[in-house]
Amino acid sequence: MTPKPKIKDLLDESACAHNKTRKTACNAPTPGATTGGCAFEGAQITLFPYADAAHLVHGPMTCLGASWETRATKTGWEGRDLTQVGFTTGISTKDVVFGGEQKLLDAIGYIVERYAPEAVFVYATCVTALIGDDIDAVCRHAEGKHGVPVVPVHAPGFVGSKNLGSRLGGEAALAGLIGTAEPEEATPFDINLIGEYNVTGDMWQYSHLLEELGIRVLSTLSGDGRIARIRTAHRARLNVIVCAKSLVSLTRKMEERYGIPSVSLSFYGKRDTSAGLLAIAEALGDAELVARTRRLVAREEAKLEEKLKPYREVFRGKKAVLNTGGNKSWSIASALQDLGIEVVATAVKKATEADREKAREHLGEKGVLMMNPGAEQSKIIDETGAHLLLAGGRSLYTAIKKGIAFADVNQEKKKSYGGYGGLLNLAEDLKNALENPVFTNVARRAPWEK
Amino acid sequence: MGEVSRKSKKPLQVNPFKLSQPMGAALAFLGVDRCMPLMHGAIGCTSYTKVYYTRHFAEPIAIQTTAVSDVTAILDGGDYSIVESVKNITGKVTPSLIGLHTTGLTETKGDDIRAVAGKIDFPLVHVNTPDYEGGLESGWALATRAMIEQLVTPTESIDDDKLALLPHASLTPVEVEKIKEFIASFGYEVLALPDLSTSLDGHLGEKQAALSGGGISVEQIRGLADAGLVVTVGDSMQGCARALLEKNPFVRHLHFRHLGGLEATDALAARLMKETGVERPQPPIARWRKRLQDAMLDGHFSLGQTRVLVVGEPDQLAGFCQALNEAGARVAVAVSTVDSPQLETIPAAKVLVGDLEDAENLRDEYGLIVGNDHAEALARRFGKALVLRGFPNWEQVGNQLKNDVLYEGGAYFLFEAANAATALREHKEGH
Repeated sequence: MTPKPKIKDLLDESACAHNKTRKTACNAPTPGATTGGCAFEGAQITLFPYADAAHLVHGPMTCLGASWETRATKTGWEGRDLTQVGFTTGISTKDVVFGGEQKLLDAIGYIVERYAPEAVFVYATCVTALIGDDIDAVCRHAEGKHGVPVVPVHAPGFVGSKNLGSRLGGEAALAGLIGTAEPEEATPFDINLIGEYNVTGDMWQYSHLLEELGIRVLSTLSGDGRIARIRTAHRARLNVIVCAKSLVSLTRKMEERYGIPSVSLSFYGKRDTSAGLLAIAEALGDAELVARTRRLVAREEAKLEEKLKPYREVFRGKKAVLNTGGNKSWSIASALQDLGIEVVATAVKKATEADREKAREHLGEKGVLMMNPGAEQSKIIDETGAHLLLAGGRSLYTAIKKGIAFADVNQEKKKSYGGYGGLLNLAEDLKNALENPVFTNVARRAPWEK
Repeated sequence: MGEVSRKSKKPLQVNPFKLSQPMGAALAFLGVDRCMPLMHGAIGCTSYTKVYYTRHFAEPIAIQTTAVSDVTAILDGGDYSIVESVKNITGKVTPSLIGLHTTGLTETKGDDIRAVAGKIDFPLVHVNTPDYEGGLESGWALATRAMIEQLVTPTESIDDDKLALLPHASLTPVEVEKIKEFIASFGYEVLALPDLSTSLDGHLGEKQAALSGGGISVEQIRGLADAGLVVTVGDSMQGCARALLEKNPFVRHLHFRHLGGLEATDALAARLMKETGVERPQPPIARWRKRLQDAMLDGHFSLGQTRVLVVGEPDQLAGFCQALNEAGARVAVAVSTVDSPQLETIPAAKVLVGDLEDAENLRDEYGLIVGNDHAEALARRFGKALVLRGFPNWEQVGNQLKNDVLYEGGAYFLFEAANAATALREHKEGH
């Protein structure tokens, strides 16, 4: 049997740059002063884009009831998209008292019989972990009985943050799927995309370019993923980490176990997309491929520049304040700069130290790195005469009071901002925001107000 | 009344639309001015709830978590997590009340929140809401009942002009407001508990506060026991009325199973007339009654040919099914999140406690769906008409202002349902 993942090991990630300075890392929610998702949510996010797998949540109603159909993880899977189907054992008081293992086994059987998935992921949750249901044994039994992979995911919410949960999701795929099947053929340019979830189709903004270059995406974890493909992931030549934060442990272990090197990059904005494509080509170590990639990048950039021309005029001289978290504090800044917008400030409160350094590089000496954006952003808008605030919904009123344009970059976005094509989407959305008179209009005083 | 089936034979739920008790309790606490709901569990329960309501109401939602971790899950009886939470919350903001409620995790480990609450020197209401029992509606009712039991001051005096309204969980902010106004037009001062009509009604606030604004005040809750009348809407709220009666034996109680459609609104008007001696309600009420009658006639051509699936919380189902039935639509299937005595009263051919997979299996029996966002995929896959109602609705804006109750809302609701059914029929026949 596969041993349960060791939480401590995942928290003490040697591949993390900040590891030397922050030993207790990423896992200390404060009672009464915290927001953000739990480990279960992170695990779901990581594995959820496998539309050909059933995702069975073994727990009470909260865990699935408030989480299914929440993420626009698009899929090209032609069968029924099982990410749009919510499965839960929905355990009751009786299960809490007597245990939920039989119910879980029956539920897996029900799903396999009626929905014929390529695999079943079984998620432990706080309550079923606490009552001690042995989901490993149930999954093993069900797998033998039904002949499809049944993969236990040990990420009950109380073990920690969303980020830790993503790592645990990766661990589940590594333990239960990766290396369990061989690809029909191998190419010298086989890669895995790791930590790309294809939210709003982000991956499709660049996957066609990889294809054109002759780089084959052997498997993904897990954007537009297929179970049959992730089982063959150990034969790839390169792991491409799109979101380093969530799955860096997994790629390190794949390097140790299968000798697959990795590169970490972002497909946000023009410069990052180009640099990313080149980094993949260089890591694959083929001079002709690198030359081909340079030509493609030049062509795509020229095409993009042509399409951005009408926007350049709108964005000329415009200044933006950016209040978001994590790697977005610099990656969106970079995309905005690609559009010719000056980023005068970005929030780094929720960013890692590496992200802060990158934010400083992107914004230069003059740019403000906000440690307390809630209080600072309003002042900075006044001081710099910024025209645009990009933030989460809570900052809306700041924009209304100042009468400046606002774009929500934290809510579940509806459009893809990834790759070259996504930058055009971002340009269009920002143009609409800047030209929209609503913020000035809403800021009008009522006739009865002094 | 049709056949009612209360027990699922399945070992799981597929495409559930049921929500949890902790989510219902949190929503109830958001109907109290400057209250901070504090969910006692792992961070995810609160995070999901926050995101869920933020998207549904398109408003920032104030809520906190005791952030139970792997260590505190085993070693702490709630004392550390809860006391630390209250310290951290009150260190930043000054809520009028903390609404402490449990989750499956903390119920399973057996925390005695009542004992912990006793050690906290801050206005706090505690309530047990395990998420492996009940659902949104019962969580809301449990929290409301706890507020009455723990906050309301007992008295024996009565203010005949004062009326306490206890609305069920599925009534939208504007529906609560309309019911308050309807009753107030008979001369009452109406206090709703909880009151989403002024807290989650989507008004543009003065600033981005870390606490919800609007809703009934804690002072008003404390003084609720001298209300001459308590009005409950929805069977789930009966226990709350009993709790209020315990505070003052002279309070009288009027119960309405729902306020959907002509008959139910007539019953409310009739009772209020009897109570107050008012012989004719205010002109707008009489005018809206005529408009509803006209809407029923205008809509009956389309609705009379339509068979409907309604999914929702029990009290919500009862209102929709009655309103549709009165205008000639036949409710073929009503699917409820949880069991309730209310299910016996629902005018539908089939009533079941279940999920959207059950509804999908019965898809040949209806053409129009009244239900939440999750029903959208079902409608799209099988070409059904859809009227979006209930939690969640993330695709549309304006949920807080959707009004389906009383004469006025009933008219709007029937028009929308009839138009949706017609549009689909024309679309199908045209192609």
